[in-house]
Amino acid sequence: MNNISYIGEHLWVGQVGHFAIILGFVSALFSAFCYFVSTKNRANISEAESWKRLGRLSFIIHGTMIITLISVLFFAMYNHYYEYNYVFAHVSEDLPLKYILSAFWEGQEGSFLLWMFWHIVLSIFVVRSAGKFEAPVMFIFAIAQLLIVSMILGIHIPWGEDAIRIGSNPTTLLRQVNEAPIFANADYLSLIKGRGLNPLLQNYWMTIHPPVLFLGFASTIVPFAYAFAGLWLNDHKGWLKQSLHWSLFSAGALGTGILLGSLWAYVALSFGGYWAWDPVENASLVPWILIIAGIHVHIVSQNSGYSRRSVYFFYLMSFIMILYSTFLTRSGVLGDTSAHAFTEMGLETQLILLVSFFTVAGLGLFIYRYKEIKNPEKEEELPSREFWMFIGALILLFSATLITISTSLPVFNKIMAYFNPAYEGQVIQDPVEHFNKYQMWIAVFIAILSGLTMFLRFGGKNWEMQRRKFFKKLPIYISISILITLATSMVINFYAWQYWVLGISTVFGMVSNFDYIIEKFRTKYKMSWAALAHFGFSMMILGTITSGLNQRHISTNPFVFREIFTENDVKKYVQLIKGQPLFSQGYLITYVNDSLIDRERHYKINFQKLNDSMEVVEDFDLYPNSIYENDFSKVAAFNPDTKHYFGKDIFTCVVSLPPSLMSLEEARKVEDSIKYIPRLLAIHDTFHVEGLIIKVDSISFNPVNSDYNNHTHEAGIEVVLDVEDTKLDKKYKLYPAIGFEDALLYQYQQPVIEAGVRIKLGEKMLERYFTPDDQMNYQDFTIKNGDSFTYKGYTFSLDGFDKAPTHPNYNAEAGDLALGAKLSVNNGKMYETVLPIYVIRDKQPMSVKSYSPMTGFHIRFSNIDPEKETFSFKIAQDDRAANFVELDIATDIPRNDYVILQATIFPAINLFWVGSILMMIGLLLGARDRYIKLKTTK
Amino acid sequence: MSRSLVISLVLIIAGIAVFISASKDVSTYANFKQATNNGKVKIVGTLAKDMPMKYDPQNTPNEFEFFLNDNEGVVKKVILHQPKPQDFEMSEQIVVTGEMQDDVFNASEILMKCPSKYKNEEIELKGDVSGL
Repeated sequence: MNNISYIGEHLWVGQVGHFAIILGFVSALFSAFCYFVSTKNRANISEAESWKRLGRLSFIIHGTMIITLISVLFFAMYNHYYEYNYVFAHVSEDLPLKYILSAFWEGQEGSFLLWMFWHIVLSIFVVRSAGKFEAPVMFIFAIAQLLIVSMILGIHIPWGEDAIRIGSNPTTLLRQVNEAPIFANADYLSLIKGRGLNPLLQNYWMTIHPPVLFLGFASTIVPFAYAFAGLWLNDHKGWLKQSLHWSLFSAGALGTGILLGSLWAYVALSFGGYWAWDPVENASLVPWILIIAGIHVHIVSQNSGYSRRSVYFFYLMSFIMILYSTFLTRSGVLGDTSAHAFTEMGLETQLILLVSFFTVAGLGLFIYRYKEIKNPEKEEELPSREFWMFIGALILLFSATLITISTSLPVFNKIMAYFNPAYEGQVIQDPVEHFNKYQMWIAVFIAILSGLTMFLRFGGKNWEMQRRKFFKKLPIYISISILITLATSMVINFYAWQYWVLGISTVFGMVSNFDYIIEKFRTKYKMSWAALAHFGFSMMILGTITSGLNQRHISTNPFVFREIFTENDVKKYVQLIKGQPLFSQGYLITYVNDSLIDRERHYKINFQKLNDSMEVVEDFDLYPNSIYENDFSKVAAFNPDTKHYFGKDIFTCVVSLPPSLMSLEEARKVEDSIKYIPRLLAIHDTFHVEGLIIKVDSISFNPVNSDYNNHTHEAGIEVVLDVEDTKLDKKYKLYPAIGFEDALLYQYQQPVIEAGVRIKLGEKMLERYFTPDDQMNYQDFTIKNGDSFTYKGYTFSLDGFDKAPTHPNYNAEAGDLALGAKLSVNNGKMYETVLPIYVIRDKQPMSVKSYSPMTGFHIRFSNIDPEKETFSFKIAQDDRAANFVELDIATDIPRNDYVILQATIFPAINLFWVGSILMMIGLLLGARDRYIKLKTTK
Repeated sequence: MSRSLVISLVLIIAGIAVFISASKDVSTYANFKQATNNGKVKIVGTLAKDMPMKYDPQNTPNEFEFFLNDNEGVVKKVILHQPKPQDFEMSEQIVVTGEMQDDVFNASEILMKCPSKYKNEEIELKGDVSGL
């Protein structure tokens, strides 16, 4: 196969890519080495400086290489170079251009590149401001890049029988990874098409969520690198000032990334919520919690000198947990416990190495330096800000530990099974309940602490003075919080005392931080970012109570509350038949129609809110949709649509469709299972089926069936049926018809969906009325122009000729001699003119039959005798007299005009969104504030 | 006794308490035999393909019936209180969460392991050359 010279391949992409990867790897290694030597020889300033410059230079080369690789890979995807496996696997012709970016980071390789891209961007800013910490900080950057590049190295090292595979190169050719007979064809590229992007990921969320999340991921390296540098240089103070804005930025970016993910889950995916404690979600939440804890002790140690050791610990752990989450989501270890991890790629060992390296290096150095990190001799004052902030950080650590242990259960199972193959894996029975149960108490503590601690001072300064104010405010806050919570309970149900506690604490957190913002706004408004973030946090948690605990399904009757109703009673879904309104929870819901837009089918669901006197007070439409697979073979996913109000959301999602609409295969099965039973009936006969009384009214040769008339048939037949539906008390007509065109039969069956009945005409009927030519009994007639003859009660007269005749069955060719005879048919009641044609083509005579559907005459112009000036015709009539109708009737047909719908009200869900957004704004404002402060003190 | 010692003790005690209380949240996958009179459990198994499946969205859109073959080879009827999941027939492994009631397993949740969509898939050809 190697000897084939393939057509149309663009091998330069792979060559450039391969070169960029190798050089990118080597330059990262060299950069790490230079920065290492520079840090090691920091006493010798000139030597350290030149090594540093060398390290910087090779990191620039590294960055250039990675960006080159990204560019060529993107170019190849943009141009559909299917000879490359990565392009083939993620792009297709029908993929809209706007999703090329999404396709780029859909795969593991692309997302590693995205991660490295952000590291490179961040390094530009870090190098500028790192000062004396540049060498050790950039050493960490270079090592991280080195290990991540190794994931896409794509090198195979022979090892005994097998080969060790290091990384997976995204610019590998398709024919290098696949062995298929098609590659024997030199022109295989013209034959293949790409697989394209998973239809679930074809939306704008996939364009914005990954880059923001990866920016968050990438930015956690900065606090880690600074902490590492501080430990290495044994300078436990200097780096604190330089890095706080980075930590705040990182927390803001990572938080926003997570939030975009949950927003995506809520508004665009059918998850029916914004947080599910899925392992993938937890894996990115834990580093965020740790970095938040880190920021708090960071501020403590900057202001009081306490908690220095914990700053190191939290920042080191935050990045380590990012790497651990990478391991969880990319190694396939989560298996069946997560709904949305990456697909496995065989990188487990490398991923373990990545996590282990930074864990050993980071924590190892931390333990080595532990004794040298000095804390003040005296313990913190009890009424000091630093003490309670430290307690808050410990609670966050507690939360992160709990989440990590529970989420790591699959890892634990795997390790146990390694030592004892008979070990049975443990699973959490109800993850959502498990996590909520513990984390809600964390939230209680955090909400209360975030309110109280703001009013304490560092070092407990002036406590004697402060004390009176503090204890004056506290009861006011508490009573206001209880009052607000009580007022809220009129619209929001708190169900159990635990939720009352959570409710009061979060309101307390909001009230106290709000007061802090008001109080400080006049003097130190820049400083109120912390209170804003705390306020947002409490508001977000309150939002989870209102929207999560109080969600109400319109598509059912009982309120949803797991502790009150057993789960099986909670019928979330309802069947909605097209055009039949359903009344539930004060809403009249109607499935109006559906329409296909690209690959999405949109279902128009009308909601009418009725008041007590059944008047419509509100009327709106929602359009949940279903997305088909790229080849339309089946429905791939359902997406919801949500009506947003200030105080609530109405969320709807189609969760299922009739089987015949779910996939082509099912549709075929349903079609095959339909059994038609033939019935022979005379005109005016009546029969009963499934509550329908059907009377055969008449036979028509000019069908009115609208589907029939969308075609141009040569001839057809229709039976008009009078139907009386005894169940629905309705009367109407049905028009089953049959037509033929180019020797093909077209059936126009008539469904009665409500009764599950389908009626079509028996094919024999057509034969009876449109007898095939060879079974026809033709009679010969020969007359002169202007003469006439009589046959079966009809008078036929020849009224001249058409020298350029046209007929649907006659395609004129050059050299044809054609003559049409204008023959009128008349029986005193009916009058019709037909035009049979006589043709001589290539000296061969032939005739084109004319058919009169009204009378049933088949007429051929069979001969011309030029000498006698006579013209011969062959005429036959089909069996009109037999007034029998043959109907094929099927019953028990599953109806397919409905959707299974979920409609849920999320009360006050905006508390959750606004709260979390305020928290992010608080963090980012903090980053800005600290950055400005750093600039001005320099 | 120093304050940090008190704090660490409190945290350790709280940690142990949570650990003990959380340990009843986890368990191994059960089989049908263990599920009887055992409250809410998770059962892992495979779809009994020779047994009938029933989903009648017109009348009971919230109920889907099928038969599950657990790891001990016991086959029992499962009523899933949800619409029939997509690609159900293709599942290699099924995990259902619920309770055993009168020899029928009432499941509220389901997780399916399906063969990876894009794995070992043949290279798709453009429509007009399928004859090659």
